[in-house]
Amino acid sequence: MNSLLKYLYHGSRLLLGGLFLFAGFIKAQDVVAFAGNIAAYQLLPYQFNYLLAACLPYIEIIAGVLLLTGRRVRPAALLCGLLTLVFIGALLSAWMRGLDISCGCFSPEAKTSIGEALLRDLGLLILAHFSFHLRNRFTTPRASR
Amino acid sequence: MHDYSNLRRVLLEVLVIVALGVVMGLSANLKLVFQVLQGSPPTTHSSDATAPAGDNTPRPIDLASLRRSIENSSLLLIDARISELYAAGHLPGAVSLPLDEIESRLPAFRQRIPGDRPLAIYCNGYGCPDSFDLAVKLLAAGYQDVQVYEGGFPEWRDAGLPVVTEKAP
Repeated sequence: MNSLLKYLYHGSRLLLGGLFLFAGFIKAQDVVAFAGNIAAYQLLPYQFNYLLAACLPYIEIIAGVLLLTGRRVRPAALLCGLLTLVFIGALLSAWMRGLDISCGCFSPEAKTSIGEALLRDLGLLILAHFSFHLRNRFTTPRASR
Repeated sequence: MHDYSNLRRVLLEVLVIVALGVVMGLSANLKLVFQVLQGSPPTTHSSDATAPAGDNTPRPIDLASLRRSIENSSLLLIDARISELYAAGHLPGAVSLPLDEIESRLPAFRQRIPGDRPLAIYCNGYGCPDSFDLAVKLLAAGYQDVQVYEGGFPEWRDAGLPVVTEKAP
């Protein structure tokens, strides 16, 4: 049982870290396009879309690297969980306001599925949960941060 | 199994990670941050492969400035979406010029609209690159004052502003 939990912990930590590192890296490549994606949610004043787009990818990269390297796993996992909650909130608010998050340039019916995005975020939350709560079981107290 | 020990320390470390990310993000994008603080950010599609280098990039215009320009100048609104969407609802006074029909319609458009007429182009909001692509083509066709209204039809409609619908023929 204990070794099963150990695999669960390391699997969650590595998968979560990899996903955040990857997502952050992709978005850091094209900050201006990411700003456009954020602006589509109509949650922030115009300039803040750009500032958030500039910073968020690097926050994700740092959290991802910490999770992958096994240092400061609990704060990194907590941060990933909190960010995911923010994403879920933004998605739900866009959905409730009936916003056109997708393009609709050529076919008015083309929509990205909000349900799909919510399911993905739920998965991230579960990974963050295991990474956070199982951390101290498999590390010596001295390094248990 | 639920371990909340050292929570205060963990939260502090979360803040440190966020602060580090902000510092890294701002310094990695210094040029963009300055542009934004000076109130002239690039359009959100300017990094597309279609974007030409140099000054030939259309400027963005936000909803408030767009409404001022409509009242105070001869600004011409151009709808870059397909004609079905234009017919279903468009901004008052907007002219339909779908991006995928630009080649066939540009000659007639140039005869009607002089090159010094200020233009503002929109499509279906921030996720839609068509208005930017059309603006690039119109700049290349010799129009001097071309802006992109990135909020587009959704932002205009959601702000409760009037929308014109074409009657079915």
